[in-house]
Amino acid sequence: MSADLTILLPEIVLAVYAMAALLFGVYTTKDKTAPMLTWGTAGIFAVLAFWIGFNGEGTNAALGGMFVDDGFSRFAKVVILISAAAVLVMSESYMAKRNLLRFEYPLLIALAATGMMVMVSAGDLIVLYMGLELQSLSLYVVASLRRDSVKSTEAGLKYFVLGALSSGLLLYGCSLTYGYAGTTMFEGVIAAANAEHISLGLLFGLVFIVAGLAFKVSAAPFHMWTPDVYEGSPTPVTAFFATAPKMAAMGLFARVVHDAFGNVTADWGQIVAFLSVASMFLGAVAAIGQRDIKRLMAYSSIAHMGFALMGLASGTAFGVQAMLVYMAIYVTMNVGTFAFILSMERDGQVVTDIGALNLYSKHEPLKALAVLILMFSLAGVPPLVGFFGKFYVLQAAVQADMAWLAVAGVIASVIGAFYYLRIVYYMYFGEETEALDPAMAPAQWVFLMASAAIMVFGVINLFGIEGPAVAAAAALVN
Amino acid sequence: MEPIILFAPLIGAILCGFGWRLIGEFAAQWVATFLLFLSCVLSWIVFFGFDGETQQIQILRFIESGSLSTDWSIRLDRLTAIMLVVVTTVSALVHLYSFGYMDHDENFREGESYKPRFFAYLSFFTFAMLMLVTSDNLVQMFFGWEGVGVASYLLIGFYFRKPSANVAAIKAFIVNRVGDFGFALGIFALFFLTDSIDLDIIFQAAPELAQTQITFLWTDWNAANLAAFLLFIGAMGKSAQLFLHTWLPDAMEGPTPVSALIHAATMVTAGVFLVCRMSPLMEFAPGAQTAVVVIGATTAFFAATVGLVQNDIKRVIAYSTCSQLGYMFVAAGVGVYSAAMFHLFTHAFFKAMLFLGAGSVIHAMHHEQDMRNYGGLRHKIPRTFWAMMIGTLAITGVGIPLTHIGFAGFLSKDAIVESAWGAMSGPGTYAFWLLVIAAVFTSFYSWRLIFLTFYGEPRGDRHAHEHAHESPMTMLVPLGVLALGSVFAGMIWFNQFFGDHDTVNKFYGVPSHHAEETHAQRALPGAAFAANEDDGHGEAKADDHGEGHAAEAGWTPGGGAVYTHPDNHVMDEAHHAPKWVKVAPFIAMLIGFGVAYLFYIRRPDLPGKLAENQRPLYLFLLNKWYFDEIFDAAFVRPAKWLGGALWRRGDLGTIDGGINGLAMGIVPFFTRLAGRAQSGYIFTYAFAMVIGIVILVTWMTLSGGAE
Amino acid sequence: MESLAADYLPILIFLGLAIGLGLVLILAAAVLAVRNPDPEKVSAYECGFNAFDDARMKFDVRFYLVAILFIIFDLEVAFLFPWAVAFADVGIVGFWSMMVFLAVLTVGFAYEWKKGALEWE
Repeated sequence: MSADLTILLPEIVLAVYAMAALLFGVYTTKDKTAPMLTWGTAGIFAVLAFWIGFNGEGTNAALGGMFVDDGFSRFAKVVILISAAAVLVMSESYMAKRNLLRFEYPLLIALAATGMMVMVSAGDLIVLYMGLELQSLSLYVVASLRRDSVKSTEAGLKYFVLGALSSGLLLYGCSLTYGYAGTTMFEGVIAAANAEHISLGLLFGLVFIVAGLAFKVSAAPFHMWTPDVYEGSPTPVTAFFATAPKMAAMGLFARVVHDAFGNVTADWGQIVAFLSVASMFLGAVAAIGQRDIKRLMAYSSIAHMGFALMGLASGTAFGVQAMLVYMAIYVTMNVGTFAFILSMERDGQVVTDIGALNLYSKHEPLKALAVLILMFSLAGVPPLVGFFGKFYVLQAAVQADMAWLAVAGVIASVIGAFYYLRIVYYMYFGEETEALDPAMAPAQWVFLMASAAIMVFGVINLFGIEGPAVAAAAALVN
Repeated sequence: MEPIILFAPLIGAILCGFGWRLIGEFAAQWVATFLLFLSCVLSWIVFFGFDGETQQIQILRFIESGSLSTDWSIRLDRLTAIMLVVVTTVSALVHLYSFGYMDHDENFREGESYKPRFFAYLSFFTFAMLMLVTSDNLVQMFFGWEGVGVASYLLIGFYFRKPSANVAAIKAFIVNRVGDFGFALGIFALFFLTDSIDLDIIFQAAPELAQTQITFLWTDWNAANLAAFLLFIGAMGKSAQLFLHTWLPDAMEGPTPVSALIHAATMVTAGVFLVCRMSPLMEFAPGAQTAVVVIGATTAFFAATVGLVQNDIKRVIAYSTCSQLGYMFVAAGVGVYSAAMFHLFTHAFFKAMLFLGAGSVIHAMHHEQDMRNYGGLRHKIPRTFWAMMIGTLAITGVGIPLTHIGFAGFLSKDAIVESAWGAMSGPGTYAFWLLVIAAVFTSFYSWRLIFLTFYGEPRGDRHAHEHAHESPMTMLVPLGVLALGSVFAGMIWFNQFFGDHDTVNKFYGVPSHHAEETHAQRALPGAAFAANEDDGHGEAKADDHGEGHAAEAGWTPGGGAVYTHPDNHVMDEAHHAPKWVKVAPFIAMLIGFGVAYLFYIRRPDLPGKLAENQRPLYLFLLNKWYFDEIFDAAFVRPAKWLGGALWRRGDLGTIDGGINGLAMGIVPFFTRLAGRAQSGYIFTYAFAMVIGIVILVTWMTLSGGAE
Repeated sequence: MESLAADYLPILIFLGLAIGLGLVLILAAAVLAVRNPDPEKVSAYECGFNAFDDARMKFDVRFYLVAILFIIFDLEVAFLFPWAVAFADVGIVGFWSMMVFLAVLTVGFAYEWKKGALEWE
């Protein structure tokens, strides 16, 4: 029992912290403690990330295998915690300025992070569902954090309703799986679903689970909520949506398909490949028509999820490794990009139209350069790190004899390059318009520059994330 | 020491080209020039100190890729030593000369800095040329080969405001590409056959190649012949031999020092150098040798005929260069590589001097190049006149017949003519007669140049004549040095290049005959007497020690700088040529001189009348046998048409049309579609999800692994 | 077959008792009650709203708050009952699990109390 608790300790610490802070916040000065709690939460995230990253070793199962702590979950947790911490830190000034900084915000993020950590460690359908719901419920709330804004509440409601639908699909898949496998444990499911014999019921269960998860990673055609929610939510929340939950959902996705259905890769490989192609093309094509940078980033994240799914679709350990590397790179790029989007304002008012970036390079050459690097990296232009992420997943697809998938990926990335480059075009060759405010919170500036610098210097060895990614993939795929 | 020779010009080019803003224009020029003189002095030290033994000086590991592995190293043998001297000497003098010539160039605007660029290009060219001649493998040589091509392109187009200069530069580059393609194919073929690009290995494989068949262009070829011929195509391009010669006259658009350095003394001789360098291969490729002789002889004749009627002073010399290169190829083709190198060596001196002299004349006449506007200049620019006179005496081959006393060209050209006769073969005889006739023409146009320029009445713009002035010392000193070379180079080195067999072999470091003969004796004791007879009698008939068994005895090619097949006795035959053969070029010279004297001093009205009477012939020659027109119709126009068609139909129509259609038609269509699907209503979104799950479920039911 | 019918006999009795009790109550109201009708009294009653009206009307969000809180505690009780019944079997782990559950619930309750969610005005 105490061994189980040791394994669960990071999650317990985070949950206890969230609850204690909740009571502390509500019984003291309420929102005046919000900045402190924001920084504190970010600090806890960082500490936990280091703890998990450097302390964890091997594969440990808690609660009779329902909760798994292995290289894969540690990799995902570190990415989740660091990106969540980064988003918290850079959103503090934005939210304070707009009177949005309630003390619940960091705590909801903390609870969501707890849910995500449970998700990526799930070894059982029940645990999976519990983690997912803890995460989702927290996110529904933060999406509508700005209660007096129609758009924000609309975003929260849409997210909630559609999330409930997807949750239902997922639950239905879980119950089908339970019914046909006779157990909710992944170990039992994988024994029931082997390549020679898989019952149609299990297959249906798989499809419904995948559909539910596809909603969470916003893969087409389960992506429809993404643009509206991204646009309507307060920008820091959007930044959060685009980073940590994506990693968590992707991690859970990989966890389920490999741990529970690892013997029928050919079957779910097709589905995931379909989702991948649909997402890549939809993300690339639909974003072209967008002028709102938050919607644009929504489609961008859909397309990127398509690429990450491509790694998963290959069904190999290398595919998982490629997916993890891709996600880490994607999260880093998005942190930088959103740091910049958070700073976009004119006369103190938030601006999200990309036309506002006209000739930005004239006023802010350094920041424009950083954004240029990020955009090139998002588009996958060599020699930036974003290119290597794409290269990785393409390689995984080719190695798994899915060359057509890789070709589709390349075509989609060519189409997608258009809208990233258009932003660059506006910044460097656009027409003169009223300039954006030059002010930028120091934290945002730091994350923007750091992210851009990583995109440039990461090409040397990707900061060594390949090693952990290999270990993580090996832990997941046998 | 050799690396210093090689890299000093490169350092000069870099310092001068990039550093002149730091150290100033004048200092930059002097740095480049000084470094070249340094490498020139070292070259002469190497030349005199060289003992004939082939050395390889490794600089760095060059290529390591699969079975292709090679060093970047300097191959120092006699051929290299000769070329080092030629290249660095002429280059150093041209650098010096350019101080005067390039001062105040009216092709550039006031205050524009063009001189450092010019000097940097010159130095860069020298480096590339040295790379070429010191190379130890074919790729390294190709690197230098292309380097000189680039430098030539840059320098021909140096007056970038002149459209004609740009056109000429492009023409030179493109025509050279044709040759380079052959060269590259030759390298590929050799690599394919021997799995190496190192010269030593290729040389050793040469006898084997001669026994090998290879399929190329759906035809079976002898491997040695094919490889040698492909390499020769490269040489044809670089050395402006017939069919690929059209770029050379146009290249005269470049500044005159460039013409002297690149298009007379050094780069254009790279082809000759290549054939000599590949002598072990050529010796086993009789077919290719025949091609070399025929092309060379025909070029010599053709260029000489065209030179007869040209009016531009530089073009006359350009055709003369083309013609002299033909001579060299004939010598190389019949297997007397030392004679080819001899002429290359002497030609570098007198041709560079003729060009520099012409440059001096042009300089004096304010960039007037048409000889019809010259006349009577010998009093205005006497030093230039004497320099040109020495050059003309050298090129026409003035000397005392049947002795070894004469101007440089006398000795080396006679050596070639005799060698052609000595080949005792069909192509050799053909070449012999063409070369003798070409010698008549050479003499005629050279004297014509002198008479038109320096004698008679001043013609043309009076103002130019009145202001004609002698060139500064920086221009005259190089002329003087080259004049010394033109007079004495032939006499000093005759024995080494074309003397008796042993001297020549020693000079080139060809492994001693004795060892070879010992082999021969062991193999065939009966040959001992013959071998002994050969010993010490360089000019004796040496056919007996050969007879094929030397090759069997295991003597491998590549030991010395050049290799002559044991069956190859052309040089000995040449030494034994009848008196009339030896005198023939001299007589040809006299005829040419006489006719020129008659035409341009005695009866200046005769040329015009002759041109009237023989109008078709005159036009044929004036238009250079219509080669440009034929090429224009046969290659340039079709290529342009094809390019235009592909551009309009293929590029604009298909590719641009397709891409634009996709990018501006289909993709935006889907974008609008996706935008419309994003209605904002929850039920639409939920519907999409349901549709998605229906698709997935159906798909899995149909194609999933469930039973 | 006979035994099957016999098994359902208690249900039949239960049904009869229920119908009887219902009838007694209705009749008692008809016999004993004071009758004094007015329009408010006789109109159909549904949670304070008009029975026949536009369904998309606004009503106070506090209703939802109370309803949700009710459901949460309702479920808590629904969870506690089986736990209490099986208390002897769940052991020490089961006991502490429920304690943790209740503690979490209490934290939420404390939060909403302090936030003022339980005050109507």
